[in-house]
Amino acid sequence: MPEALADRRRRAAFFLALPSLVVFIGIGFVPLALVAIWSLWSFDPDTYWIKSVWSLASYAALLKSGRADVLLQTAGLAALTATASTLLAVPAATVIGLLSGRRRATLLLALFTIPFFTSGLVRAFAWRLVLGREGIINNVLMSLGVVDTPVEWLLFSDFAVVLGMVAAHLPLAIIPIVLAFARIDSSVIRASQDLGAGFWTMFSSIVLPLIMPGVLAGFLFVFVVAIGTSMEIQLLGGAGASSIAIMINDVMRVVNFPLAFAIATVVTILLLVVIIVADRALELSRLFEDRGA
Amino acid sequence: MSRIRPRLTRRQLVRRAALGAGALAVGTLRLPRAAQAANEVNFWASGTLDIGDDGWKIFANDSEVKVNFTDNGNDPGPVVAKLAAGNANDIYDVGGLQGGSEKELAKRGLIAPWDLAQIPNYSSVWEWAKNIPYLTFEGKVYGIPTVVNADSMIALRNRVGNVDSYGVIFDRKLRGKTAMEDAWINSVIFAAIYLKNSENAKISEPGDLAADELGLVMEFLIKHKKDRQFRTFWNGWEQALQLVANQEVWVMTGWEPIVYAARRRGLDCYYAVPKEGYEAWSNNTILLKGAVDRGLSKTAHQLANAFLSGFYGCKLGTLRGYVVPTDNNVAYAAAHASAFDPAAVKQLSEHVKAKLTGKVYWQNTRPANFQLYEEWWQRLRNA
Repeated sequence: MPEALADRRRRAAFFLALPSLVVFIGIGFVPLALVAIWSLWSFDPDTYWIKSVWSLASYAALLKSGRADVLLQTAGLAALTATASTLLAVPAATVIGLLSGRRRATLLLALFTIPFFTSGLVRAFAWRLVLGREGIINNVLMSLGVVDTPVEWLLFSDFAVVLGMVAAHLPLAIIPIVLAFARIDSSVIRASQDLGAGFWTMFSSIVLPLIMPGVLAGFLFVFVVAIGTSMEIQLLGGAGASSIAIMINDVMRVVNFPLAFAIATVVTILLLVVIIVADRALELSRLFEDRGA
Repeated sequence: MSRIRPRLTRRQLVRRAALGAGALAVGTLRLPRAAQAANEVNFWASGTLDIGDDGWKIFANDSEVKVNFTDNGNDPGPVVAKLAAGNANDIYDVGGLQGGSEKELAKRGLIAPWDLAQIPNYSSVWEWAKNIPYLTFEGKVYGIPTVVNADSMIALRNRVGNVDSYGVIFDRKLRGKTAMEDAWINSVIFAAIYLKNSENAKISEPGDLAADELGLVMEFLIKHKKDRQFRTFWNGWEQALQLVANQEVWVMTGWEPIVYAARRRGLDCYYAVPKEGYEAWSNNTILLKGAVDRGLSKTAHQLANAFLSGFYGCKLGTLRGYVVPTDNNVAYAAAHASAFDPAAVKQLSEHVKAKLTGKVYWQNTRPANFQLYEEWWQRLRNA
């Protein structure tokens, strides 16, 4: 009785998924919904608390004091970081996932994840010693006679921020691509070679389309993390450089919860839109397809 | 015949694992404060007021008050918020806060007035320190001035020579080589002091700007930020020190101990004497209402008294170059010459006293337009 069997399987799948579903709703969806609801409440400076008076004041405040600009700038920086990380991650993941044996691949993957072992603060601070006026790069450039005076824009600039963020988040882009490589059936590659395809033809026509969901996942991982980062921007950005996270921190300092929640809600919606559009355009969900079926 | 059974069944294992995980989770939660001894005080103050475990041990021996120190982050905004809308009054007994917030905290009933009769050492506090604005509300003393200093600029002599005006911070010739602190409580007053005294701006009290005065000062700072005058806005003592030590910044507004630390690294830097005047500040000890409710008022007074008794001033002076505004420090150092250098304690005391008896403007962490200050500072950041 195949229908009854399928029904039983569906029921079993539902009950197996139930704990995860409860956890997802409890610690994922409910807090986000509350944040969205509270963003529409009012801040009472007399009690330092929110009151259940519905208002769009926090969303109006988003358009003041340069906050909208910071939202766009942070999204731009995050997109730039994610793009740079992905462009670097593709060749790195190719070496790991396509051109290395198991042992070397493990070693290389471990090397790329080293940035995760150090604190973000120390990592960002270390860049100051490299990029600063008296830093390693400027010293080398000056001793080689390439420049007469230190290059000022190396530090406390968008360049420094993107460099710091790429170095910190690169593994997030590499790992999904390596996983995508692991899902490629080696017979496909062998077949292309048997048919006379050179490396670049094989890579561009066979491998790249197959790893595209991994590339997209890597881009999104970096984008999502970078859009919420503050460390690199605070330590490596220009005077008083701001970001979404810094802006939220600023308004939380004076416990203006509705405004902080409004910023968080807008960012969440932005990220959801990015993920949905990316999935529609490049079929991110292919990464989770069962190739064996 | 007995059956061979596993020592631990799977069900037992799962149950014990769950119990263990639960116990671990409970252990990591912040539970309500444990019972506290009558001579024990939870002191919630700026990190720079911490004298370390060894220091607090001697302090406890001398004063019979055991101090549990917690850093409050030194940012009065969140401190006031945690007292008003959080549980800070349930956890802490005595606070140490940059001056200015006392009035608001007192008005809201979040702090209690000190009974000066229970603080005999208060009589030794320098007279001008007793008259620091913001210490009192409705005739009662809410803040005991515990640490005082006057701030200006840190300058690298080999880069900028001898400077005596905040104008150097905004000097076009030093574009990209100056910095200010990433905090309005210090940076706004510095800019206001400069504009008032050197640019003849209509500013009556740099520590408590009216809305239009604040707008003038902030537009001035925003213009210079956009012109890339500032290399960065520094945040935290270590970062500030590194900026100077690496000569990333040649002159910046900042705290005097940074100069001492930079000199120890061999840098020729100095603390400028600005013709416009110093930004004076005091970190005041406040009695949290929760301590009174818990019957710890007497111990809290004992603590405030002990801060002024000499040892704390000597220790803090040695550690950070800060001064407790009483001559008891000098007397304590003279009586304990093996522990502290009496000449150094006296010199530091005289140095700070001389600065504070000159032209100063007092830092105010809670000006009347506090919310506007916050809004403007965010606008500066976002500019």
